[in-house]
Formats: sequence, structure tokens, C-alpha cells
Amino acid sequence: MAIAPSPPLQTTPVRQRRRIAFTLLAALLLLFGLDALLFRTHFYTSILEPDSSAGLLELVLWREKMAQQKAGDNLVVTLGNSRMGFMPRIVDQLPRQTGYAIRTAGVAGSDPRTWYYLLRDLDPTANRYRAIVFGVDDYDDEDQAFHPDDDIRALHYCIARLRLSDTLQFARSFHSRDVQWEAFRGALLKGIALQSDLQAFLSHPLKRLDYIRLCHRSWPDWTYDYVESPRNMVGLQIDWSTLKASFPPEMTAEQKDTVHGWLLHEAWPQDGRLARFFGAWLGRIVDRYRASRTKIIFVRLPRGPLVRPDYLVKKRSHTIRDLASRPNVVLANEHLFDVLEHPEFFKDAMHMNRDGVERFSIMLSDEVARILGPPGAPAAR
Amino acid sequence: MLFNTAHFFVFLAIVLALFYASPRALRKYILLVASYYFYGSWNYRFIPLLLTLTVIDYTAGRWLERVPPGPRRKTVLILSLCANLGFLGFFKFYNFLGSNLAWVLDKPDHAFFLNIVLPLGISFHTFQSMSYVVDVYRGEQQAVRNPIDYALFICFFPQLVAGPIVRARNFFQDLWHWQPPSAEDVSRGVLLIALGLTKKMAFADQFAKVANDYFKNVSGNPGWLTAWSGVVAFGMQIYFDFSGYTDMAIGIAKLLGFHFPVNFRRPYLASSITDFWHRWHISLSTWLRDYLYISLGGNRHGRWMTYRNLMLTMLLGGLWHGASWNFVIWGGYHGALLSVERVFRGNRPVRENWNWLYPLKALATFALVMIGWVFFRAADLPQSLQVLRQMFRGHGHLLLANWHLELIGIALALAVVEEKLDGFDRLLKAPMLAYASALALMFFCIEVFGVIDASIPFVYFQF
Repeated sequence: MAIAPSPPLQTTPVRQRRRIAFTLLAALLLLFGLDALLFRTHFYTSILEPDSSAGLLELVLWREKMAQQKAGDNLVVTLGNSRMGFMPRIVDQLPRQTGYAIRTAGVAGSDPRTWYYLLRDLDPTANRYRAIVFGVDDYDDEDQAFHPDDDIRALHYCIARLRLSDTLQFARSFHSRDVQWEAFRGALLKGIALQSDLQAFLSHPLKRLDYIRLCHRSWPDWTYDYVESPRNMVGLQIDWSTLKASFPPEMTAEQKDTVHGWLLHEAWPQDGRLARFFGAWLGRIVDRYRASRTKIIFVRLPRGPLVRPDYLVKKRSHTIRDLASRPNVVLANEHLFDVLEHPEFFKDAMHMNRDGVERFSIMLSDEVARILGPPGAPAAR
Repeated sequence: MLFNTAHFFVFLAIVLALFYASPRALRKYILLVASYYFYGSWNYRFIPLLLTLTVIDYTAGRWLERVPPGPRRKTVLILSLCANLGFLGFFKFYNFLGSNLAWVLDKPDHAFFLNIVLPLGISFHTFQSMSYVVDVYRGEQQAVRNPIDYALFICFFPQLVAGPIVRARNFFQDLWHWQPPSAEDVSRGVLLIALGLTKKMAFADQFAKVANDYFKNVSGNPGWLTAWSGVVAFGMQIYFDFSGYTDMAIGIAKLLGFHFPVNFRRPYLASSITDFWHRWHISLSTWLRDYLYISLGGNRHGRWMTYRNLMLTMLLGGLWHGASWNFVIWGGYHGALLSVERVFRGNRPVRENWNWLYPLKALATFALVMIGWVFFRAADLPQSLQVLRQMFRGHGHLLLANWHLELIGIALALAVVEEKLDGFDRLLKAPMLAYASALALMFFCIEVFGVIDASIPFVYFQF
């Protein structure tokens, strides 16, 4: 570089460069080791905030694992998001029992991607349950404004369940590059995804540990004994031609918001993203149970207090109907729960209320028993 | 192109690869092109300004060397300084002066307002350029003959936008007698880059979130505890942010075979304000000492002149940071504190005594520095006064979470270890596994504390 005479060209010796490369490599390995030691072992999973997405999924997993030990051979589990209003307590209290113990591993806000990773650890042999019941919005695919394939919440639900080998597949399952990158780095270095959980733990470690202990004592009972809200949507009227709703005066802003978001909209453009997403993840679940005794049952959940007319719904594909051709997959009668699609059975535009949940739970239990037949008998289709 | 982005690290990797793969004669051209690309990636429209200042001071340097001592020589120096200060004044202070003039003339606030975008790093590279011209004038520096060398001195990308302010003699010593970095240089460079990144992402940006929330809504956050925690959060932010940037700049320069001066030496362990300025933004405080304080007479003309010189130096140092009365007051506040210390200390040098009084002195110094930061951070003078009032009345609540306090505790413990045991140097001499473990811990710190998605710019980029 010198203008004036300078010593001959010297470069960094090869050994020195190698040493630097080895040191950096060692640092990276140590980083991954540290991350794995903390976040890929039981250590941190056991102290996750119970009210966080990851903590909630871990509690569900823990509760259902315990239930597996107590329940006999005729165990059934339901999966779904917050719309899946199945309550085991209601069915357990019925005087007439079907012979099947039906549990729920549903998690609010979850989707088939989360169900796949949850099931993989809930049922590692893919043979524990007599049936797994998935509550879905429809057997046909209708893209909505919200695309579950780009829902990064899946990372936060699944984070404790993800293995290093899942990283690429999990990240690539998201749609946009930014979310793929966020999922990739979170799945690779879990500390990034668990930042806020860890920071909250460091702020109040003893409080967290106490709460975890309390949850381990009482959470199964809290969830089992949970009673749904009795409020309903009676009085709701919708003019579908103008997409305007009239609400009874006692209806809350929250209830109205769900009506606007869930019901009052034109048909969204259909680009097949939901079909691809369902095809990938439900397909993966079905594949896992291909050679199993476990039946995969899909049920169409009651659509809402009022049902959107057909001309506002565009459906171009039907992934779940297609899956029905696979062995072990059964679709419940899609009109089975149409009787619950009334304002008196819903607490808002999406979720059933106490009455709705009670009727739904009983009907679902009967339908499962019908599909599976009497315990020990060959299953019906 | 922020130092803490993937974009910058790709850029750095390419520059390093090209630099070491090229014949030696080409390397400075590679650095020059890379530096202009780096500057242009912020705002390419200011490259002509940078070039103009480079040409002016390069020419002034050559001219000063040829002109014999006397009034003509002085005229050349004054012309060069006027050009530098003119550009700096126009871009940085025009609107400040305009609004004050409007106030004096009883005109609307925006009567003389111009929509001026401040060129990135102008305060740093003009000071660096001026120091070169003054050094040539004083005969302490040979004028640079090769314009490429001079251009590189002004625009060298590791320190172009936020320092440290590098002296010409040190830079050209490295450039003209360039040696490949030793193993220790490389180890130190890599560790400094990792340390700087950790300071910025895991510490500064976390404290920035708290400080920004507080200063965004001061009236909504009353009480002394709230105010102090908001201000301390800013104190932590600015230290970790600026020293993190500087660490990275020094580290990057080391990888390229250049040696920048240390800019921070654990300033919050200072036991007096004088001590604080020996530890905080050292390249600026020594610049102000060498080119302003000493030029004004320093402490050679009696006590009162010393106090006056201290005040003037700090006032101008404050104004260097930004065109607002807040910075003037911040500078004046530090000037006053330095003068008061001088009254009690006389001409005795500052001693660093770690005796039983030290924690009290350090705590008092820390509190005084935090009070100063109020003027530095607040949006304007009324907000500064509002924060100061809140710092001494009411109750409020702690804005910092426990884990923030734990971060401060860890940083304090590491600072004490470094101060007393030279932990950094020991680490460089330690076996590879210890060094790699330290790097891994820093990366882990970024993983679990780093603000990764929000792009919080470096505080000093605005200067």
C-alpha cells in the first residue's frame, strides 16, 4: 500500500488463518451447545411461562401424557383451535357412556402445523389412540384474509417440540421470506424465540417457579372443570346483500368485532394457499398414521351463529375430502352440527357458548362412537 | 448500512477477501472504493461534499508546506478552517441560528428555515480533517502528497460516521508502513467486533426501548423513580451504543492492519467528572484538549483563565454534538463541574484511588453524569426541565425490569474485572478454548437479549 519503498508483501500466515477459523468454529459450536443444553433439554421446557404459547402447549402435552397412563385402551383425543368446543367433563358426566374416553388436546390459536409437532411427541408410536378427531372449519378450502401458512405463532407454540432436524422443513413451510427467516433462526437457536420468556423468568424466577408448581397441581382440574360463557348472539341479524349487521343493544364490542371479522366480508381472493398448507400438514399427520390402528376423524365444526350464504363463499379445492380416500381417514357427516348453527349456541361469531359446547360435546362423542363402533368391534366408515 | 446488520457483515467479508487477495499496491484503492460505497449506501448525494472537503484540506496541507511561516501561511490555515467550519456550520447549525435569529427579530420560528439533511458523520470527518491541517501548520505532520492516501484518511469506513477521531500521524503511520495484522491483532479485532455487537444489540438496544418509552411520554411517567430509571436507561443506552460502535470500528480496523485509539475506558467507574472525561469519548476529549483548550491557553494563564478555557471548551464540545440549546447546556454543565473540581483540586493530577471513599465518589459522579444526560436526550429545554423536576419529586415506579438490573450488574462486574485485572488482555493470551468460550458467551448474550428485529440506529450517527 505504501507509496514510499515498503517491505515485501506479507500476508497472514496460513496457520494463523486456520487458527482463527477453528476458533470461530469452536465458538459457534459452543454457542449451539449452550443453546441446546438450555433449550433443547427438559431444563428450560420445565420452567416455561405456563400462560405463554409454548408453555400452554407443554401443559397440554404433559396433561394428556398423564391421561394416557390412566386411561385404558379406548382412548380418543380431539385436536383443534379455540373453535373446537369439546369438553370431556360433559361427556364423562353422561349417564350413558360409549366406552371411549375422549380427551382434548386442542390449543387456542393452533393450526395443523402445530398439531403435527404436538402429536409427534404426544403419540410417539402413532398407535396410542383409537382415534384422533380434528375439528376443522370446512372440508373445502377457502382462503381467508388471514393465512395460517405465514402464522409465526406456530414457532412459539412448537418451539419446545422442534428438533434440530426439523429446522429446514419447519422454516420452509412458511410462505414469505421474512417469516421463513424468523422461523429458521428461532428453530435453530431457540433462545431467540424464547427471549421474552427467559427475560420474564430472570425478572421473577421464584414467582414463575411457584406458578408452575401451582399449574402442575391444579391446571388439569381448571381446564377439566372450565365452564363456557352463557352469553349468546340472539338478536343478531345480517343483511347479506349489503353486508350490514344489526346487533341487540346488550351485545359487546368484542362480540361485534368477531361478527365483522368472521362473517361480514366479501369472498377473499382464492390462491390455493390454504389447500397447500392443509395438504402439507394434514397430509403429514395422515401419513404418520397410515399403518396404525388409530382412525383419523375430521369433523366440520358449527360454522357460526349465522351461516354465510353460498354466493359469498368461493371454494376451489377440497383437501380434507381428498384425504378421506386414504386408509384410516374418516369424515364425519358435514351437516351433523348444522343444528348448532344458531345464535343461541354461540357466544360470539366464532365460538360456541355453554349450551353450544354441551350439545356439541355430546353429539361429537356419539358420532365418534358410531364411527368407531363398540369398543373392540371393527370401526365403521 | 448499520454495523449490526447482515448487510454490513457481507460487505465486510467481501472487503476483507478482496483486500487480502489483492496485490499490496491495490489495497488502498480497494479500501477507498469500499469506503465511498459504504458512505454512498447511506446517502450517495453527500459524496461530492466529502470529496470537496477532501480536496480543500489536501490542497491546504500541500500549500501550508510550501508557504513560509508568516501571515500568508496563517491565511491558508484560516481559509481551510473556515471551509470546514463553514460546511459544518451550514449543515449543522444554520437552522439553529436561523430560529434564534427569528426569535430575536420577533419573526415566526420558521422564518429562516431551510430543509437541510445533515450529512452523515460530518462532525467526525471535519474534525479529523481540521486536525490534519492544524498539525501541518504546526509542523507536527508532513503534508500528504498522494491525494488517494488523504482521501482514505478522511473516508476510511470503519470510523467515517461515528469515529473514533483518528489523528493523521497515526493513520499515515499505519498506511505507509502497513504490516499484516499479527495473530494478537486478529484475535483482538474479532473479540472487539463481537463485544461491540453484544454491547449494541443485547445491552444498548434493550435500554433504548425503556429510554425511548420514557422520553416519548415524560408527563405520563411522573415520579422520581420513573424519571431516574428512564434517565439511567438512556445513560446505559448511550454508553453501550457508542462504545459498542467504537469497539467494532477498532476491531474492523485491526483486521485491516490499522490501529485506532481507545475511545472508552469504563467511564461509569470514574470517581470524578475530570476522570469521566479521561474515560468517555477519549478521541474527542483529547481533540478538544489539543486543538481548543490548549490553543485557548489551557491552564497557563492563571486560575480564572483556566476556568474560562474549560467552560469554552466544553460549551463548544457540547455544541459539536448538535445544534440546540440542550447541547450547549450539557456542555456548559460539564464545563462548570470540571471548573468546580479544578477549584478544589488545583493543578494536582487526577488520582484513581480505590479506597473506601471510592464507591461514594463513583456513585456521585455517576449521578451527576446522569443529570447531564437529561439535556442530551430530552427533545428540548422545557422537556429537560420537566424531567429534572420529576427526578426530585413524587414516587413513580421503576421502568427497568429486574433483568435489566441484572444486565447492569453483569456489566458492572465485568467492568471492575477489566479495570483491575485486565481481563480482556488476559483473555487474548488464554488458550483457544477460553477465547472461543468468551466469543460463544457473547453470541449467546445476543441470542437471548439481543434486539434482533427492530433497527435502532446508533445514537452518534446523528452527530
